[in-house]
Amino acid sequence: MFKDLDPILHSQLRLAVMSLLISVKEAEFTFLKEKTNSTAGNLSVQIQKLKDAGYIDVVKQFKNNYPQTICKITSLGVTAFEEYVKNLQAYLGANK
Amino acid sequence: MEERNISEQESLRLIQEMIGKAKDNYHESGASAILWGAVIGTCGLVSFAELQWNFSIGFDIWFLILAAIIPGVWFNIRDSKRSIVKTHEEVAVDIAWSVFGISITCLVIYVNVIPALSERFFASEHLELLSHNTVTGETKPYRPSTLSITSVFLIIYAFPTLITGWLSKFKPMIIGAIACYCFFVISLFTSFKYDMLLSGLAGIGNWLIPGLILNKRHRKAKSAHV
Repeated sequence: MFKDLDPILHSQLRLAVMSLLISVKEAEFTFLKEKTNSTAGNLSVQIQKLKDAGYIDVVKQFKNNYPQTICKITSLGVTAFEEYVKNLQAYLGANK
Repeated sequence: MEERNISEQESLRLIQEMIGKAKDNYHESGASAILWGAVIGTCGLVSFAELQWNFSIGFDIWFLILAAIIPGVWFNIRDSKRSIVKTHEEVAVDIAWSVFGISITCLVIYVNVIPALSERFFASEHLELLSHNTVTGETKPYRPSTLSITSVFLIIYAFPTLITGWLSKFKPMIIGAIACYCFFVISLFTSFKYDMLLSGLAGIGNWLIPGLILNKRHRKAKSAHV
């Protein structure tokens, strides 16, 4: 019996954001937008969903008079991501 | 990229692709390395030339290091502001070089303070160190710079402890390392006997106390898993 994959993570853009954030200490919104090749509006919505789930921290501040959004994965996010990858591996291993 | 559900195979491919993209993002301008390489290289070569060809440029070239600190700090702040992502590797490298900077500063203090203090120490004992040239018969005052070698050991003790504590955000090690740097400053002004006392305290503060705290946490975690 397989565990269901976390619905928060099992979506293309949110998973891409989490995969980027797990590899770095913190990243600006512009970095995530560039690497995921997504629109600002869509990315904002998905970041908010990840924040609401407690998987990432979002800090909004000003840099040289321009707004800056910095995202950072939380320990809950790391645990959820690890669990997601574990379940994914179990699923893919069983379907080989 | 859009918001949509994906297959399990797509998920795995996406994770690998994004982790790869994040790893490819390490860009260092090299400005700090160029600055320090140029400064230390110039200081070393000019000092060598002064000794080799017996001339003086009129001031101590090694003071250039102090002048280079301000642009060095500016380069670091500028690079940090330009960066839109901070990788774990960058954080570790920044910490290692910061601790190196602190330790080099301590060594500069050591090199500048110890000869004068040594002279004063010998003068208080009514002693003067002299160097005697056996060929020319010339005798000159000699400035010792090898005393208080314990101080150098204290800097070395603090080095790995501060990096480990800073990287792992483990306060007891950070406090132990800072105490070690304080002991270093004190040891410049104390005799060998008290240097040994400071070394003992450094060992206890730097490693023994943090080690005991880590061991206690380890045993607690181990018993929780049984």
